[in-house]
Parts: sequence; structure tokens; C-alpha cells
Amino acid sequence: MGLDFTVVLRNLDYLLWGRLTDGELGGLLLTVVMAVSAGILSLALGIALAMVAWRCQASRKLLFLWAELIRGIPLIFVIFWLYFLVPALFGGGIPNALSVILALAWFSSAAIMHSVLAGLQSLPRSQYEAGIASGLAEHQVLCWILLPQALRNLIPSFVGLFASLIKDTSLAFIVNVPELTTVASQVNNRTQLFPTEIFLSIAAMYFVLCGVLSLAARAVCGPSSR
Amino acid sequence: MAFEFRYLTAAIALVIGLTGAAHADQLADIRKAGVLRAAVFDSNPPFGLVDEKTHNLVGYDIDFAKAFADKIGVKLELVPTNPANRIPLLTSGKADLIVADITITPERATVIDFSTPYFVTGQQFLVPTGSPDKLDGYATARIGAVKGTTGEQALKTRFPQARVLSYDDVPLALASLRNGTVQAITQDSEILAGLLAAAPDKSKYKLLPELLSKEEIGIGVKKNETALLAEVNKILVSLEQDGQAGQIFDRWFGKGSKAPETRNFKITAQ
Repeated sequence: MGLDFTVVLRNLDYLLWGRLTDGELGGLLLTVVMAVSAGILSLALGIALAMVAWRCQASRKLLFLWAELIRGIPLIFVIFWLYFLVPALFGGGIPNALSVILALAWFSSAAIMHSVLAGLQSLPRSQYEAGIASGLAEHQVLCWILLPQALRNLIPSFVGLFASLIKDTSLAFIVNVPELTTVASQVNNRTQLFPTEIFLSIAAMYFVLCGVLSLAARAVCGPSSR
Repeated sequence: MAFEFRYLTAAIALVIGLTGAAHADQLADIRKAGVLRAAVFDSNPPFGLVDEKTHNLVGYDIDFAKAFADKIGVKLELVPTNPANRIPLLTSGKADLIVADITITPERATVIDFSTPYFVTGQQFLVPTGSPDKLDGYATARIGAVKGTTGEQALKTRFPQARVLSYDDVPLALASLRNGTVQAITQDSEILAGLLAAAPDKSKYKLLPELLSKEEIGIGVKKNETALLAEVNKILVSLEQDGQAGQIFDRWFGKGSKAPETRNFKITAQ
């Protein structure tokens, strides 16, 4: 069976940016936008929660329980619920893509929190003690001495989490948000004859996206990073 | 997985349905907002699909959705959906109407209201050209069906005297029709029409217009929105009377389409 990739070329603009010319983001571009937004949100939330957990023992149990709760639910359910619940709670004005971004961010923030906390705890105790001894307050030690070192060590772990996040955006197809997987199945169901060609190309696009991320991270960190 | 989702969907629909405030009149809300939100398929040709050139949603359902918005005098907003999300979209208030090839069933009718049917499909018979035109002519025949389909069930109910031979897929059933093992095969009309269109020896067979079992497709409306339901029904009947409904059918199922079909129904008031 010969493969005929002309179907991908014919629909390439739709697969890459959807209905952008009509003001509606879609395709690979929407996948990137969703992954980046969810990545930034979850990074901010995860680091903030890790700082709280590090400073306040009492909150730690509660935060761990919360993280456990998130881990125990399949992401696709969270996406599904937020799709119907966010508009029900805040009115219908929230774009569907945003509800999926929130689901992804919420989900990833638990993993980031655990990573960052582990990163902080793995630093030598002397770093903390030296900071306190030089007269810094505890929060200053955390922000200026511990976090910068921990985050640098955690970059490889973040790259892994972010690659998962990119691939997890494909779950948005369950609520018809027109990201890469959704538009690909739209094209496939219209043409019906070229599923292999279409989905192989989509897989290649995800692979390239994740590969670029890894290369970029390596370039940023330099060969010294573990 | 699909099954669990259905339960989940139903549970969410129920929760949201219970907590959601009962609107006084959704039709008035639509007029006030100036927007009609219709849940439609984006991946189910020819009912709803994304056009290759314009990238817009097009299809049989989308044409009806446009007609509703036109007649009510508001803008149309299409909410793309898959089959499982149709009813929750309606009950959660994300859509005003389901215009997505939804079959009217008693089970679904307990959760949402349905308009009068605007599309009728069902199981048809594919037979050799020289065979009888009436379904009853096959009451004692050997008939091929596809395993586990509603057609297989319907045959056994309607023609208990017939010998039903079940096949794994339609092309295999067609092969049996070719070599004379069965005198007819049955399947959804769209599938048979597509099969016939692709067959190299299509002139040797014909589709019987009579349906073995009937599936009626309606517009889904939130429960107890009587004004909106009445308006939808009124518009459907008027579309039939001024010929627009027929034109929409011809556009997607007529002679120029991939698998042409005969329109053997009319939209009528309930």
C-alpha cells in the first residue's frame, strides 16, 4: 500500500494554524499556545505551593493530599469537568481552550510542586544555615539562595513535564477544542481514506515540537547541566 | 471507556441540570442575546464537517442550524461537539439546540425534548437488479446482515421466517450477494449507498427505497422549553413547505453528492 501524503499538504495550513485567518486559533499553533500557557501557569502555581509547603509544615499535609487527589484522577476527566463546570460557574464567556488550559495547569502544578519541594530539600542544609547566619530572613534565604539553585537543578525534570504537557493537550479533542489532534481527526473524518498519512504526520509534528524543546533546554543549560 | 464516559456525561448532565436555574423562556433569552448557539458535529460528514477550502463548518445539520438562526432573526454560533457531549452541552447551557444527527429515542427523550424529525434514515436492502421491490418479497429469503447491528435484530423481528446470515463486515456480505449465497443484504442506508457507489459492478444491484427499521433524527431542545420547541417545530414545517428543507437534502444527499439517496420522508408537524 503506497502512502499518499498530498492530503496532508492540501490541509497543511488548517493543521498548522486552523482558522486563524477568521480570528480563531487552531491546529499546531493552538497546541503550542495551550502548552505554553498551561506550562507558565503550572510553573508559577507549583513553585508558589512548594514554597508554602517548604516554609510551613502544617500546610504540607494538606497540599500533599491535594496533589494526591489530582494524581488519582485521570486528566481527561478533569478536562471534561472543567469544560462543563467553568462556564456553569463563571458564565458562558470563557473560551473552551481556556478551560482546557486551566485543567492542564491544575494537573501539572501538583507535579511541579513535588519536584520543586524535592529540589529544595535536596540542597545541603549548610546553604540554609549560611543564609540565616549572614542575617537574611527565612523567606529571603528561600528566594535568593535556595530557589535559584533548586530550579536550575530541576530544569531536566521540567523539560520532561513540559513534554508531557505538550502531548496532553491532545486530550482537548474530547471537548472539540480545535488543537492539532482535533483538526487532524476532522480532516481524517472528511477524507476517510488517509488515516495513516494524517496521523503519522501529526505524530511527527508532536515529536518535532518535543524535540525542539529538549534541544532548547540543552542549549540554555549548557553541557554542564546533568 | 466509551461506556464509562456515557455514565459520566449523564451524571454531569444531571448535576448541572439540577443546579442550573430554570429559565423562564429560553427563546426570549436567545432573542435578547441575539445569538443562537447550536451544537453541531465537526467530524461527521455529511451532517457536519469542516470544509477543506474555507475551513468553515458545513453540512446538512449546519444548513438547518443556519435556517433556524435566520428565521428567529439572530446570529448563529456553532458549538462543535462529538456524540457523547451533545446532551451535556444542552443541559449545561453551553448550547441552545442540538442539531447533530441525534436519533430520537425514548431513553433520550426522558432528558431532553425532541422536535419533529428533520431527517429519517434506517436499514435498507441491497438486492440484485431483477429482484422484487417490496420488502415483504423477502420474508422467507436468505438475507445477509452485519453481526451485532440493529439491522440483524430488526430482520429477526420483522421476518422471523427469513434465514439471516451474519457477516463480519458489509463488503463480505456484498461478496455473498454477488455469488448468490444470500438474496439481499441489509445495513444503514448511507453505508449501503456508499458501498454501492464504490462497487465496480454497481449496475447489477439496486437499493430498495423501503426501510426495514426507521431512525428519526430530531432537534434536541432543553426539557420544558415549550416556546423554543414550538418555534423550532414551526420553522421546520415552514422549511418543508417553502422547499428549503428539500434543497438542503439535495445539497448533501442528492444526485451531486458522493452517495446519492432518495428523500423518502417529509417534515410534518407532530
